Amino acid sequence: MLLTSVILVLREVLEAAMLVSVLLALSRHWQQSINWLWWSLPVGLVGAIVFASLLDVVTDAFDGAGQELANALLQGLLYCLILTIVVLSPSNASHKRLMSFLMAAVLSCAMIREGSEILIYVVGFASAGEHAAAVYAGSVIGAGIGVSLGVLLYSALRALSDDRIQATSMVLISLMGVGTIMQATLLLEQVDWLPAGRALWDSSWIVSEQSIAGQLLYAVFGYEATPSVLQIVLYTVCLSVMFGAHYFSVMRWGNLNEA
Amino acid sequence: MRIAASVCFFLMLCSGAWAKTPVFELEIRDHLFHPDELRIPANTKVKLIVYNRDSTPEEFESYELNREKVIMGGRKANIFIGPLAPGVYPFFGEFNPNTAQGRVIVE
Repeated sequence: MLLTSVILVLREVLEAAMLVSVLLALSRHWQQSINWLWWSLPVGLVGAIVFASLLDVVTDAFDGAGQELANALLQGLLYCLILTIVVLSPSNASHKRLMSFLMAAVLSCAMIREGSEILIYVVGFASAGEHAAAVYAGSVIGAGIGVSLGVLLYSALRALSDDRIQATSMVLISLMGVGTIMQATLLLEQVDWLPAGRALWDSSWIVSEQSIAGQLLYAVFGYEATPSVLQIVLYTVCLSVMFGAHYFSVMRWGNLNEA
Repeated sequence: MRIAASVCFFLMLCSGAWAKTPVFELEIRDHLFHPDELRIPANTKVKLIVYNRDSTPEEFESYELNREKVIMGGRKANIFIGPLAPGVYPFFGEFNPNTAQGRVIVE
C-alpha cells in the first residue's frame, strides 16, 4: 500500500511539478513577480476538491463520456494557455499581468486534473481503515519526490546562461503543451468520440511506459509507446502550430524592437 | 448472478448489414477483477463496461491498451477498446495494483 501510494502520487505530482518549474524559471528570467504561484495553489486545490466530489455526476454525463470529456477539455485548455504564453513570450515585458494570469491558469488546470485523482485515492483509502497510515505516508513521500524533481529542473534551468534559459524553457514548455494533446486524443478515443485506429508503432522495447524513463517522458511530453495514427497527426499539427506561432511572434516583435 | 458476473459478454443484435459495437462486462469486487481474463475479437472495437462493486474507488488502467479511467465506489464506467491486433493486453487497478490484475486476450 505504501509503495502504491508513492508511485501513484508521484506520477500525478510530477506533471504539475515539471510545468511549474519551467514557468517559475521563465518568470524569474523575465524578472516578473512569482505571486501567481501563491494564488494558483489554493485555486487549483479548490478546483481539485470540486472536481473530485463531482466526479460521480461528471462520469455519467454525456452517456458515460463525461469524465474523459472534462479531462480532455482541461488538457485542451492547457494547450491553449501554453500556446498563448509561447506567443506572448517575445513581448513578455509589455504583458506582465496577462502573463501572470496565464501561468496561474496553467498551474490551476494541471492541479485540478492531477489533484482530483490524488484526492479520490487518498480519501477513498484512508477512510477504508487499516491502510490509512501507509496511504498518508506514501502520498507525502511521493509528493516530496515529485516536488524535489521539480526543484531540480528549476535549478538546472536557472543555472543556464541567459541566452540559453529562454530557448530551453520555451522548447520544454512547448513540448509539455503539445503533450496534453496526446493525452486528450487518447481520452476521446476511449469514449469513442474519436475513432481509435491500430497502433502506428510499438516503441515499448526502447522505452516502456512502465519504466521510470517512460513515466518521466509521459509526464513531460505525453509519451506513448503505442500511439495511434490520429494521435501522431494531431500531435504533429499542434506542435507545428506551437512552433510556428512562436516563430512568427519572434519575427514580429524582433522587427518592432529594431524599428 | 455469478454466471452473469463471470463470463458475461453479449453481442448486440446485428440488424441489417451493420453490426453494433460488441459489449463486454467486468466487475471489480474486493479489489479483484471478475473475470480477470476477457477474450475479444481481433480488429474490432468493443465497449467495456466496468462495474465497481467495492465501496472504494478504483482506476482502470492499462499501458498496453492506452486506457485509464477512475471508477468511483458502487459506480460503472464505459471504456471503448480496440480495434486491436491479436495478443495479450494486461490491465490493472491503479489503486490496488497488487491484487486487481487482469488481461484482455485478443484473438
